[in-house]
Amino acid sequence: MAAREIRVYPDPVLKQVAVCVISPDPGVAELIQDLVDTMRAAGHSVGVAAPQIGDLRRVVVVDVSSSKLGQQQPNHGLLEMVNPRIIEHGGSRVFREGCMSVPEYTGNVTRAERIVVEFTDRAGHRRVIESHGFEAVAIQHELDHLDGLLFLDRVSSLKTDVYRRKTA
Amino acid sequence: MHHFALTVVGRDRPGIVAQVTEILFNLGCNIADSSCSILGGQFAMILIISHPVFTGRDSFGNAFEPLEAADLTVALRVLKPGGELHPDLAGEICMISVYGADKPGIVYHVARVLGDKRINITDLNTKLIGSEQRPVYVMIIEAVLPADVSEEDVDLWMGPLREQLQIDISVRTIPQVEL
Repeated sequence: MAAREIRVYPDPVLKQVAVCVISPDPGVAELIQDLVDTMRAAGHSVGVAAPQIGDLRRVVVVDVSSSKLGQQQPNHGLLEMVNPRIIEHGGSRVFREGCMSVPEYTGNVTRAERIVVEFTDRAGHRRVIESHGFEAVAIQHELDHLDGLLFLDRVSSLKTDVYRRKTA
Repeated sequence: MHHFALTVVGRDRPGIVAQVTEILFNLGCNIADSSCSILGGQFAMILIISHPVFTGRDSFGNAFEPLEAADLTVALRVLKPGGELHPDLAGEICMISVYGADKPGIVYHVARVLGDKRINITDLNTKLIGSEQRPVYVMIIEAVLPADVSEEDVDLWMGPLREQLQIDISVRTIPQVEL
């Protein structure tokens, strides 16, 4: 159990698709703990996905409860998610996202404001939660890592988007 | 390594970026930051470039002459050391949307208020839309708020301009998150 090194692009592991955890996988508890330790060690981090520490299993941890933004709205505290899957989403909002794996670059990303996500927790129980706002955005960002997607793949506007309009 | 600011402007058509960057590539220049866009019917390129050996304007010789010959206007500025480094802009990102019936002074009056309050504009786009009979001016500003300035402050400061210029101004901050 330890904080692990955050992989930084162009590390190829960040562009690979992670594989589902097939239970029982006794190593998953250790992976979850490493993800939590890594997130805590990074200080300001609100989530880490397994590929970010070089592990290609579909596991992420998210915890927005200690961030300034996260405290302003209801959240689930520490979420340890194995094989997470978004089964519903609605609304949209823009955040200026940055990522520990892509230092020194930020971009405006539009994501769902509300999601329902299904996953297995550390104890092996299947859970379904609804999440809003910042926590929902953080979950979507981390889940993208499991599919080899970085926020760079989602940047939605070059700021001038507002002007782009089809004139019929 | 010396850095340079290169601007290229000319009537928009396919192939401008290719022609400009081919020259830079053949010179051995690196393109660091760049932003290129259509403004009116013109394509405008602004690039921060560097070269391991070049020290001044003369180093480029007549490399850009083919661009001038293709009706593009080229300007090169030699940056002082450190001029290529992005400043550390700590603070909330604030988007300000300004729009209304077109009239003189919209950009100036809004920018004056922001400048007087030491708010740093990091991006600004304007566009004239609407019909010829009823032109509408749209300006989108991205700015960084100093630590002691809130979204509400900016909104308040825009109040008199809404009255004076009869324009709509909305202010919102974009949450920045490191994930």
